Amino acid sequence: MEFNFYIAIAIFTLVYALLIWDKLNRAVVALLGATALIVFGVISQEAAIEGIDFNTIGLLIGMMIIVFISQKTGMFQYMAIKGAKMSRGDPWRILVSLSVVTAVLSALLDNVTTVLLTVPITLLITEELEVSPDPFLVSQILMSNIGGTATLIGDPPNIMIGSATGLTFMDFVFGVGPVVPLVAVGTLIPLRLIYGKSFRVSDERKKRIMEFREAEALTDRPLMMKCLAVLGMVIGGFMLQRHLHLEPATTALFGAAVLLMISKEDLHGVMEKVEWTSIFFFIGLFIVVRGLIEVGFIRLMADMMLEATGGRLITTGFVILWGSAIASSIVDNIPFVATMIPLINGMAPSFGGDAAVLPLWWSLSLGACLGGNGTIIGASANVVVAGIAHRNGHGIGFVKFMLLAYPLMLFSIAIATAYMYIRYLG
Amino acid sequence: MTAAGIMTKEVLTIPGSGTMLDAFRLLKEKKVRQIPVLDGQNRVMGVITPRALMKAILPKYVSDGLVADVKFAPELPDFIRNIDSLALKKVVDLMERDFVAVRPETSTMEVAALLVNPGKHADSVLVVDDGNRLLGIISPWDVFRRLWDYSEKKKKG
Repeated sequence: MEFNFYIAIAIFTLVYALLIWDKLNRAVVALLGATALIVFGVISQEAAIEGIDFNTIGLLIGMMIIVFISQKTGMFQYMAIKGAKMSRGDPWRILVSLSVVTAVLSALLDNVTTVLLTVPITLLITEELEVSPDPFLVSQILMSNIGGTATLIGDPPNIMIGSATGLTFMDFVFGVGPVVPLVAVGTLIPLRLIYGKSFRVSDERKKRIMEFREAEALTDRPLMMKCLAVLGMVIGGFMLQRHLHLEPATTALFGAAVLLMISKEDLHGVMEKVEWTSIFFFIGLFIVVRGLIEVGFIRLMADMMLEATGGRLITTGFVILWGSAIASSIVDNIPFVATMIPLINGMAPSFGGDAAVLPLWWSLSLGACLGGNGTIIGASANVVVAGIAHRNGHGIGFVKFMLLAYPLMLFSIAIATAYMYIRYLG
Repeated sequence: MTAAGIMTKEVLTIPGSGTMLDAFRLLKEKKVRQIPVLDGQNRVMGVITPRALMKAILPKYVSDGLVADVKFAPELPDFIRNIDSLALKKVVDLMERDFVAVRPETSTMEVAALLVNPGKHADSVLVVDDGNRLLGIISPWDVFRRLWDYSEKKKKG
């Protein structure tokens, strides 16, 4: 028992250290850690398999398939261009409309896909306007993480929390959704104050934006109609989760299967586009955390945290909110949330059961999702945007981004703190 | 049949220190499809191809395939401007480094297989010696023509 306890902690620490070091592929690191636990006899293979949250895995795979097929139709780019044209070429309004499109898409799709779809359009538009794309890109990074906070499927931490607790799509919409528009506005106002004056362009350049033909972006209308029908069905399924008694993974995978059938897309081509690296990263990580649960480490940490916060829900809630925000700005929020979930579950009995710790789940969700905005490495979407920007000659440096984004992130957590206090913890 | 038997030995080349303007002139005057870039010891450094040139003047997010279909957008001011700036750049900065090369003893079938490899986008295969020095070049048409001649000869013989 003693031996297992220390081996599990050593493997967990090593996995975390290697993830922070970021030189080895994260899926390889997680799988090495997971299999090492089995090899050293800390947990059995059966227990390891039981530790994998197949609801999270299924939901991710299902949504990746649906989104990959949907994005081929050009409908998301249509939305971005339409938004820019509705702003009539005014740079600030374009920034706001692209931010709104990014936030809304992030709530319904994964954040990396969202920025891969919207950032190239942003670069095209800013090139036409002959203005710096920096404020647009910074805003889109921030909005992708803010928008993703609003729903169960918007950001991996929410998927994991929802899956572990049984909280539904609508629970997230009503639980954390209301604060998201406030955070979005609270982020845009400082951006306006900082960048507002750099947004003067001639009428001739504005006219160029109006020359975009958004309808031409729609490359396959029949496929788009099928995708919209399936997306509508899947999101409807999420909304009615409680009545349909279907887990989100079932809904997403059913939608993906239906779309594969009616779209007649090449199955092998679509399957290749599923991000298997992320999927195996999740699988490995779930097993590593399972090891910590089995040896009693999580229980110990839960007791220590309760002692530190005096067993008061309000203190615990704020510690989780701010702690997860700061942690998520530095390390990947997925392993962090994977560790926090059993920790909060472990504290539930002391607070009087699962219902009593509901605010703690919202604190974790808000902290982990919004915390990603603090640094350029805080979330995968941030890294992807920085990469695209760099290849196109617009560097978004680590320090430059952090000086702007970290205070904005802290401000968003302050808004979330006020929200949590008024709604749940006060 | 081997690569040495079907390759074209007289190859138009350009030194790595040359400018893109030199490369443009060669492409235009000699009507070649691509130009191997050589260092001082005749070793192949890369190839100037029309694809590489297109990539250089398109915005990266387009050439990376993030916006595969750009028919919705009007012409970008930078797209046209990039052509002027291209002329002054060095060939080493714009050449494709990921070219396909074989040894002279490579079989014709292997050369043909390399030319249809969907992952490589090679318009032709370079033939090099052990020291990576250029010996010749083979286009898909070279392979086909030599095979055709061989087949005709066999029928007659």
